[in-house]
Amino acid sequence: MMLSEKNPGRHLEENLVTFTNLLRKEGIPVSTSETMDALRALQVVDMSSRKEFKTALQVALIKNQRNRDYFNRLFDYFFASPETRSRGEEKAAAYKKQYAEQLDRADSELKFKGKSLQLTPSELARYSTMSSEQRARLQDFMHKTETGVNVEERFRPILEAVVKSHLRYCRTGSNQERNTGSRTGAQASGDMPGGSDLESGRNNAVISEMDIQSITSTELPEAEQLLQRLSKKLAVQLFRRRRSGPRSGPIDLRRSLRDNMRYGGIIFKLKHRPKRRTREQILLLCDVSASMKQYSTFVIHFMHGLREAVRNLSCFSFSDKLENMTPEIKKRGGLQQLLDRVIRRSETWGGGTNLGLSIRELIDKYPDLLNSRTSVIVVSDTRTISLSNAVNELSKLNELVRRIIWLNPLPREQWAEYRSVELMNELVEMWPCNTIAQLEEVLSGHL
Amino acid sequence: MTVTLPELKKGFERVGYICDDSTALTVFLTLELKKPLLIEGAPGVGKTEMGKVLADILNTNLIRLQCYEGLDETKALYEWNYQRQLLRIQMNRNLEEEQVKEEDLFSEQYLMERPLLKAIQAEEKPVLLIDEVDKCDPEFEAFLFEVLSDFQVSIPELGTIRANQIPVVALTSNNERELSDGLKRRCLYLCLDFPSLENEVQIIKAKVPETADRLAWDIARVVARLRRQGDLRKKPSIAETIDWARALVTLNHSRLDGKLVGETLNLLLKNRADQELFREEIGRQGIEEVLKQGGGEATR
Repeated sequence: MMLSEKNPGRHLEENLVTFTNLLRKEGIPVSTSETMDALRALQVVDMSSRKEFKTALQVALIKNQRNRDYFNRLFDYFFASPETRSRGEEKAAAYKKQYAEQLDRADSELKFKGKSLQLTPSELARYSTMSSEQRARLQDFMHKTETGVNVEERFRPILEAVVKSHLRYCRTGSNQERNTGSRTGAQASGDMPGGSDLESGRNNAVISEMDIQSITSTELPEAEQLLQRLSKKLAVQLFRRRRSGPRSGPIDLRRSLRDNMRYGGIIFKLKHRPKRRTREQILLLCDVSASMKQYSTFVIHFMHGLREAVRNLSCFSFSDKLENMTPEIKKRGGLQQLLDRVIRRSETWGGGTNLGLSIRELIDKYPDLLNSRTSVIVVSDTRTISLSNAVNELSKLNELVRRIIWLNPLPREQWAEYRSVELMNELVEMWPCNTIAQLEEVLSGHL
Repeated sequence: MTVTLPELKKGFERVGYICDDSTALTVFLTLELKKPLLIEGAPGVGKTEMGKVLADILNTNLIRLQCYEGLDETKALYEWNYQRQLLRIQMNRNLEEEQVKEEDLFSEQYLMERPLLKAIQAEEKPVLLIDEVDKCDPEFEAFLFEVLSDFQVSIPELGTIRANQIPVVALTSNNERELSDGLKRRCLYLCLDFPSLENEVQIIKAKVPETADRLAWDIARVVARLRRQGDLRKKPSIAETIDWARALVTLNHSRLDGKLVGETLNLLLKNRADQELFREEIGRQGIEEVLKQGGGEATR
């Protein structure tokens, strides 16, 4: 009932291996031992029951909640009924055809002196997902260049470089393509017999993989829940008590005597009381300048989530100057009220960025917040004026506080393009966080 | 100790643990494949209870290891009884003929078994519940998955001790931190969600049999509504639902209304922010609407 219809003679083992390969291509780690567990589990259950078959695979192959939604959808695609499969295949064929047509159209529109520019398929795809105004602007630019005085064939590489960088800049429209691209790799390689309709029915797993700026208002409630869960996790990670060192507090006589009984009562090892725990403090420093505009909702979500999870929270926003958001953040009310309040009242919202000046202001005006118990979380893309001053001030701030964690919404592959990222990355721990999944990864593995 | 799937389902019913078929199947696979079971889910969905219930169904001992930061091998696996060893040395000091040999001091007589060793050495297959494994340190977690993969431990003075019976192992986690891939790989995985409306009613009826039908449905509906409120700090757990049902039965109520929910809210929402949120976002009117929606089902 569920094995590959393309090859009905294929053994269960082969189908299982193909399925686990498919899971791996979608980024779900599955080891060989887990595949073997799944096979053993299948031998125990009633394989004529689709529900039991699915549960057996799920318990052996999927080990976190995040991947559950992906598993469900992949299972439905891979072990689809013949009718669903043929429908899916028709859809996939139509999608491929449409995609090829889009690329052809893009290629024909981006010509210089009658010959196509050397652009990759993903660049062409990005072009085709741009708005008609953006496309028209680019075509206009190309036309003007082409018909300019003394413009010859040797200008082609320059024009190509300009077009490529323009396409890189206009990412907004193509984020969806980039984000779902990694998750549809299996379909492109032809492993997914049922074809794909991954765009429909977005769920938590998909939202967590999406670029935060492309999350739509209908998906906001789910994103909000994910962020709240993560904020709580962040709070736990930051306040987690590390095992105290041997000389952390005063000598504990009782424990010292007891522990040294093994040496016949001779005190070899002194035992100390753990140090008294001091209250940790989080200082959130959010960039709300124009370059971060696309991430503004994320920043507020993050503030809101942390407010719920952390008691000792101070919040500052900055663009060309610093603004203390703590009173606004601490007011009661839902997220929507917070959004309204912050955007309406904030003086810093959408300005230019002067990180150096903002940090200086923070150090000068709020010295009592900066001490060895403070963890500073900066949410910013690092783009600022007077970079050297910003680096200097950041270095000073780094000496005053326990640690600085920098969450950068720029995708990691773009980091090399910015000198500011390179310089600040040397000073502080910097992690990419342009998707919720990346944020979760940072919290799970690195803090 | 072999159990078939129908027997297991009956067992769950017998002990009043209401769960769906896929949960029962997962537990059945754990028993059949002799693999540890990692249970994740929000606080209060019945993860720890699962371990206790399994011991009950399988009619065996429950050995529980509660994890916390700083837990190490001496508290989880074994420790030498130093006081007793010293006493033995002191007692035999003046007796020429009774020389204490080193191997006498490091024998099983002086070994204090902690939960993991106890589970490995048990004569009858026990249920080992490793609770809140996400709270322990990563070093201990690494040690743990060594024990769980081979079910044997090496004690330098005694040698390797192998398990008489491979215990049924259940690990629970609140997902406060990501567990290592090594540990996950060695386990089957079960994610417990809050129960469906029907299951919650069954749970209430099973745990507080005196609850009237109408009241059980009302309680389940209100609790489900509260859990849907995404920004609550702590969603009401099953245990809290049961406590609430018990309290309402004690107060001789047979149905709910907005006023009563407001008065007994302390049993469900246990912090001030959540209570204020309830008043602002749901309130008495919201509750009345929820109760009105399910009028038909409640009377069946």
